[in-house]
Amino acid sequence: MAAIATGQIGDEELVASAQKGDRRAFEELVERHQQKAYHIAFDFARDREEAKDLSQEAFLKAFTHISRFDGRSGFYTWFYRILVNVCLDYRRRAKRAPAEEYNETVERQVEPTHVSANPVAPDQLAIASQLSRKVGAAIETLPAKQRMAFILKNHQGLSIREIAETMETAEGTVKVHLHRAVTALRQSLAEFV
Amino acid sequence: MVARDKPALKACQNVEEDLVLYYYGELKESAQSNCEAHLKNCETCRASLAEMRSLLSMTAAHDEPAQTFWDDYSREMRRKLDAVAERETWWRRIVALVASLPVPALATGAVLLLALTLTLGKGLWQSSTSAPDDEALIEVLPMAEQLDFFSDMEILDNLDMLETLGGQGYGTT
Repeated sequence: MAAIATGQIGDEELVASAQKGDRRAFEELVERHQQKAYHIAFDFARDREEAKDLSQEAFLKAFTHISRFDGRSGFYTWFYRILVNVCLDYRRRAKRAPAEEYNETVERQVEPTHVSANPVAPDQLAIASQLSRKVGAAIETLPAKQRMAFILKNHQGLSIREIAETMETAEGTVKVHLHRAVTALRQSLAEFV
Repeated sequence: MVARDKPALKACQNVEEDLVLYYYGELKESAQSNCEAHLKNCETCRASLAEMRSLLSMTAAHDEPAQTFWDDYSREMRRKLDAVAERETWWRRIVALVASLPVPALATGAVLLLALTLTLGKGLWQSSTSAPDDEALIEVLPMAEQLDFFSDMEILDNLDMLETLGGQGYGTT
């Protein structure tokens, strides 16, 4: 499969090969989508290890059920649907770590990337840290579907149509989720704007 | 906040509904034109949009792991895929083995399995119930002997009666 390395083959062809038992084709699909998958999972879990585990669990489920993929939607839509369900299941399982633990996790995971990329003064760092905690807590309080619609739109840049397909709901419903999520976040984070 | 008359307030409320979708570029062309026309003349809605833009840009977590993380990720993913593939292979081998057997062989196997189950099951049932039977027999046997004794005594009583009746009979004849 030399062409795989050049990225010339579309997802559909890779899926077809994977369905015939071609492991390398599936690994290529993983390579293509792992960063997006990881970031969605990270937005949910706000923890690097959890995000890795969740995204990998979604890939393993996709691998196990690849024969059931019928090509009616794109691979990414089908796969993101699996990932969304894995993430929502994780939320249900987690039910919920105390807010303090959650905030510490967010701070520990998110803050260092800011620090290493752009060195900032300690007072700015403190503000960024407080903001990070507040943002995490505000997103956390959103109902699961509002949160998912918001993450897929705001963080992943999916279109409303793609989100609707991923969440298996109507586009109008996604718009309502999105509007409510943004309104709630604006209220929660008004002091930082 | 800038004071606005009633129609202007209504127009702002309408735009407010669309502002989120406008920000994400998800409005249809006509709605987008209306929104832009309103924003051009409404300072309040422009400020609202700027506030939303500022807020939403800081909500992303911005986690960008180093390349070593992705190397580990890929390695770990391959290992997990190997494990799943291995499990699937074993399962498929068993299914394939069963599927490859001819129908008479499968039927014979099923009959043998059924016979074995019934035989072993019966043996277990018998071994589990024999002890109570023996105990019951031990209790019943002496009672049966006593019954024989009592029935013998009844015959003796009846003999006396028969003799009496016989004597009377002989006397009359």
